[in-house]
Amino acid sequence: MPSLESEIDGIIETFTNNLKQRKFKGSRDLALNSVQLWKKIIGQMKWQNARELMDAIKQIGKDLAETSPSETVIGNMTRRMLKIVRDEYAMLQKGKQEDSDLQESLQKILTADEVDFDYIENIPLLKPAIMEHIGEFLTELESSEIDISVQALEHIHANEIIMTIGYSKTVFAFLKTAAKDRAFQVIVAECAPFYHGHKLAADLAEARISATLIPDSAIFAMMARVNKVIIGTHSVMANGGLKAVCGTHTLALAAKHYSVPFVVCAPMFKLCPEYVCSLDQDGFNQFASPEEVLSNDEGMLVSRVNVYNPIFDYVPPELVTLFISNTGGNAPSYIYRLLSELYHPLDVLL
Amino acid sequence: MENTRNVLDFFQNIVEKEPEVSAAVAAIRTLMHILETFGDRTLRGLSEELRKATEEMKTADCSITSVQSGCELFQRFITLTGALDQSNIKECKDIMKERGEIFLRKLQETRPKIAKLGAPFILDGQKILTHSKSRVVLQTLREAALTSKKRFHVFITESYPDRSGALMRDELLKLNISSTLILDSAMGYVMESVDLVLVGAEGVVESGGIINKVGTYTMALCAKEMHKPFYVLAESFKFVRLYPLNQRDLPQELKFSSSTIKSGSNLLDQHPQVDYTPPGYITLLFTDLGILTPSAVSDELIKLYL
Repeated sequence: MPSLESEIDGIIETFTNNLKQRKFKGSRDLALNSVQLWKKIIGQMKWQNARELMDAIKQIGKDLAETSPSETVIGNMTRRMLKIVRDEYAMLQKGKQEDSDLQESLQKILTADEVDFDYIENIPLLKPAIMEHIGEFLTELESSEIDISVQALEHIHANEIIMTIGYSKTVFAFLKTAAKDRAFQVIVAECAPFYHGHKLAADLAEARISATLIPDSAIFAMMARVNKVIIGTHSVMANGGLKAVCGTHTLALAAKHYSVPFVVCAPMFKLCPEYVCSLDQDGFNQFASPEEVLSNDEGMLVSRVNVYNPIFDYVPPELVTLFISNTGGNAPSYIYRLLSELYHPLDVLL
Repeated sequence: MENTRNVLDFFQNIVEKEPEVSAAVAAIRTLMHILETFGDRTLRGLSEELRKATEEMKTADCSITSVQSGCELFQRFITLTGALDQSNIKECKDIMKERGEIFLRKLQETRPKIAKLGAPFILDGQKILTHSKSRVVLQTLREAALTSKKRFHVFITESYPDRSGALMRDELLKLNISSTLILDSAMGYVMESVDLVLVGAEGVVESGGIINKVGTYTMALCAKEMHKPFYVLAESFKFVRLYPLNQRDLPQELKFSSSTIKSGSNLLDQHPQVDYTPPGYITLLFTDLGILTPSAVSDELIKLYL
């Protein structure tokens, strides 16, 4: 009979293998799967108190994050789990703690109230409370796409021209919901060299939404007639900047030039408490095979030129007009506040 | 009168003898000293004494903005400790003293914290521009160079009229960090070659803007025009309850040294010592409370003073 530990190791290994083979479809799928993984781990693992559990979560979380450093969602989910443990512990421990007290603040420095929990008390009720909380969180994740798309009618008006880039499930759901009541036109930038835009255009056409496909180089030319840009993103950084598919920065700058509102659909689990400095491309970007840009068939040429095929773009917060998350619309300058509610400050650095 | 002289001497003694200590902390320590030496008289008398001492310290020739923020924080500290609920003044004083020590100890920890947050933003091979002399900028550069083993180059403006930039350069030389002293007027000239701007602050105001050595605003304007990130490093005890809208809005006692104001000369002929940099020019603020966007500053102040 396999011991409990090796069983947990087994689950983790299956997950990391799936991750390496890119079996997850999109970041929501990844978020759901990683929370389900955490649910299993926390349920099966033996722990005496919250401190032990949190240390274990941190350790496993670190390993998971290292498997795929550019997937910020994994780190975010680890932090959410830690936050859930902290919240439930604080709640059961006399129910005295409110969220704001956990924050580091000037007030705390002044009053010198040591609210540092040691998390060592053994509370039997803690485990069921945590499991229930994780269950609620899973429901929230599952419904996040719908929660965003129900806001569509507030943002898309009749006969508007919307521009988007690449393929985002959230954006597609958003457009589809709006199309139930309003007629509008969508211009899709194809997003070379992966051409995810082709798929979006096809899907839109199938949903009977008028779609126009353009090459990325035509973004600026088309922008003059666009009423709104609506895009998805890979993650939202702590300063309100975006880590989004390559080409988004071009799109954002063109939108700024013509003063077109630049709206980003991003569910809460994409909010990442890390800061990125735009100069640090090595730590931020990921590079795909150059095959799509310059095919290996061009033997002679391939050996003579450098080919880069970056996946991400950093978009500074001043180019974003609005974030639409599952809880509502927010300005980029408000992201810091959402982050302080989502994660505990001590967990930001895993 | 005897007593107030002592206050100023005590304060200036700290400022001169311990160059590592910020004016705000020196002010708080002075007020703590008053609290300790104050006889067992009435609370009313104590608060009167503290108020007088604050006024007195504002006449010193140092960063008045920092003194103001430090004193405001101390006043708030007294009300928040709950010591005032005690029935007799002796107990009340004991609690204040005890809490005050914890408070001061926490203030000591702020600068290393900021340095840790700021250092990862400095990358290998970068060129950094800084203005005047700031203890927290120095510590962050030290952390990046010595602990994180980064190699970078620092440009420092001379920062007239007191040439404090030259002092900053001496400190960097001691740390073996490569640096160049430049003219204040060469700010625009070097801006195209630098990667980021790091400055300290004498005070952080409610809007998220900063009050700092004159020339900071110019630097922020240049950085914005050239699309360079403009980072501010400041301890949270420098948050001050002011909301200036423009340069003219800054109180006179912050802009000019008290000796200048007392001399009665026409202030229009005098050089201001500080300027106000609006939040729109600041990329991020690094504080001991974490990395903040300018809009997060008012949140912190509201939490404290509401």
